[in-house]
Amino acid sequence: MADHFRGELPKALRILAAPAGLLPLGPALTLAVRRFARRKPAVFERLGTYGQCSFLIEPSDLDISFLMVPDGVRAEVKCLRRRASQPADVTVRGPLLVLLGLIDGTFDGDALFFNRAISVSGRTDALVALRNAIEDAELTPADFVGVTGTLGRLVDRSVFGGLGLARRFTGSPVAGEPS
Amino acid sequence: MSIELVCPAGTPAALRAAVEAGAHAVYCGFRDETNARNFPGLNFSPDEMVEGVRFAHAHGAKVLVAINTFATAGAMDAWKAALANAEKAGADAVILADLAVLDHAATHHPNLRLHLSVQAAAATPEAIAFYADTFGVKRIVMPRVLSVEEIAKLNAAINVETEAFVFGGLCPMTEGRCSLSSYATGKSPNLTGVCSPPEHVAYSEDRDGTATRLAGFTIDRFGAGEPAGYPTLCKGRFAAGGKTGYLFEDPVSLNAASLIAALVKAGVTALKIEGRQRGKGYVAEVVRTFRAAVEAIDAGGTEVEVGRLLAGLVEGGRQTSGAYKKTWR
Amino acid sequence: MMTKTGLSLGPVLFNWSADRLRDFYARIADEADVDRVHLGEVVCGKRQPFTDRLWPELIDRLTAAGKEVVLSTLALPYNPRERASVRDFCEVGLVAEINDLTALPAVAGKPFLVGPFVNVYNEGAARFLAGRGATGICLPVELPAASVTVIAAALPEVEFEQFAFGRLPLALSGRCYHARLAGLHKDGCQFVCDKDPDGLAVDTLDGQRFLAINGIQTLSHGFEAFCPAPDELARLGVRRLRLSPHTCDMVAVSRLYRALLDGKADRAETLAGLRALNLPGELVDGFSRGEPGSARVEMA
Repeated sequence: MADHFRGELPKALRILAAPAGLLPLGPALTLAVRRFARRKPAVFERLGTYGQCSFLIEPSDLDISFLMVPDGVRAEVKCLRRRASQPADVTVRGPLLVLLGLIDGTFDGDALFFNRAISVSGRTDALVALRNAIEDAELTPADFVGVTGTLGRLVDRSVFGGLGLARRFTGSPVAGEPS
Repeated sequence: MSIELVCPAGTPAALRAAVEAGAHAVYCGFRDETNARNFPGLNFSPDEMVEGVRFAHAHGAKVLVAINTFATAGAMDAWKAALANAEKAGADAVILADLAVLDHAATHHPNLRLHLSVQAAAATPEAIAFYADTFGVKRIVMPRVLSVEEIAKLNAAINVETEAFVFGGLCPMTEGRCSLSSYATGKSPNLTGVCSPPEHVAYSEDRDGTATRLAGFTIDRFGAGEPAGYPTLCKGRFAAGGKTGYLFEDPVSLNAASLIAALVKAGVTALKIEGRQRGKGYVAEVVRTFRAAVEAIDAGGTEVEVGRLLAGLVEGGRQTSGAYKKTWR
Repeated sequence: MMTKTGLSLGPVLFNWSADRLRDFYARIADEADVDRVHLGEVVCGKRQPFTDRLWPELIDRLTAAGKEVVLSTLALPYNPRERASVRDFCEVGLVAEINDLTALPAVAGKPFLVGPFVNVYNEGAARFLAGRGATGICLPVELPAASVTVIAAALPEVEFEQFAFGRLPLALSGRCYHARLAGLHKDGCQFVCDKDPDGLAVDTLDGQRFLAINGIQTLSHGFEAFCPAPDELARLGVRRLRLSPHTCDMVAVSRLYRALLDGKADRAETLAGLRALNLPGELVDGFSRGEPGSARVEMA
């Protein structure tokens, strides 16, 4: 498996991005996904039975990974130390910025999944379903933080703006790249 | 009559993005085996279709619903329901391929406008006249095997509109006549609406790099850092006659942007962009670019002007004008 | 009361020389245990000028030997000459097998057969074609048995046929792969496909046997070997099997299948007989079982 991906965070930034205390992150994300499922149930309907699949998300430039079962209001997110290898239906590995590109719609299935910006093992179909469901959700970072209105738009703009800049800075792939 | 830009919408979000970017029409399908992009997580529920049509119509765009697979024997209800739901949603046309579905639509939904899908592979005046005379088909999506000159001749010999693919993924095989995917995986466009289905795709890493396998058949291998496309069977690398390489098609996508004016002159009514599985960001960018190019052509713009508008899409990736130029064959 | 299951020799899909074709059909006429023989170039219109002048003599030869001769039309006609050939084939006065709906106007008002390149995936499509005069339909190769059963049961008046032996015709293209491999264009192909009278093997990069190319056509590498017992065929509602010509001993193949259909040999014996022919491909039969077409034959 390739250990280095195009577009990884520089070392100095990794330290900033690495959460100090891992434990509260999992429950917080679990709550955020469940809250989101209550607001936009159609997203999870779109996932169908793939909602019960487990997704292990491993940012290659961080020392933690996430295990997610996106089962609507029963969703579960666990935050794991990298070494704690965990069986999952599908494992996705890639730079954090590229993985976040899944959320804001910068990347699509053809341009990203299969362009080796990330590596995929396990059930490719589950990942395609998740990608397509997220794509339609028009997810924004504010959805994750659970804020709306003006504050939400502010959060989105700062995170998206920051992501775009960071991508250019790290040389991660950009949208619309024909594959 | 100005040219119609027909754009892909894999999800309601992509539909809105395409309409806002200037699509004259979008095409989309229901979330089941009745459409030929039956990928997990993609497509529309009946309610989403109603909402999608409402949104498109409010913005002056049409919705064409693809019900373009071949109905399963003894289980035609899903196709009948799709036709009924498309009509109920107010779709501007349905895109069909199967004789049984066409027959049912012509008999039970006489007010529904019928288009013939590329999956029906109708490439001759005789075949096209048959679909027009028998079912009242108003438009043919042309197989991606004809050159511009052949399209011009064909248009002169038929009385229905034609729609031509101009951008996106390219099937080197005649669509609707291909069982390669089911030979490897048991699933195919004609049987289940998918080609090279993701649940049969696996990547494995070894000393020589990454192997892409489809149901156990290695369809490509990549060295570290080498870019890879979606693992579609016919786009892979194989060995034949002592040579190794892209036997069927290079990893290119179709870009007939430079031929838009020629296609319009050849009598084509609508230009189609492929990519219902692509993201909304990508769809919006392509649609916006093509809309500007189409308007420039409608306004009598020069080739240079149109070329400049499309430059952003042309540079970088590997692209081909496909069968529109005879050398492709 | 069951009628005898028919056995057809499909059209030659490959670019065989006139001499090879003449010799092949002479032996088929004299020795093969088939009751119907398909003539005609189905794959590539560019080959037609070489073979078209052969057909009249072969029609006579085969008819004199008691075979029913059917003319199979081109699967992907598009230029005016090819379209004219489709029309001509339908107007010879023999039964025509259509492989594209381009031929429908030419068979109007006449009984005709439908080949495996026409998409008949359900009883509605079969009924539609029967209503236009189709008396027999050879179903698409990928159609699973479950669908075959439903379609055949819905239309007892139509004789349904199944592709039973040979490399499976899987895909057609506007592009010629033989020419592409040789660095040529289709328009100047030099007819390089004639070097591979059973198709050219296509392997994966890991050396797995996978496909075969034949000009614009892609076939399976594996040889379909659908060997049903008579009662299994009856359950399916299939009344005819098709053998697709290859360079192997097709007379022997026809005798093996005839014995199978007549209940004089069982499946294991038939498969053993096919294996003994040293075919240039593994035996597969997945499609008929609703599995990937490449699934190997399971030995009885």
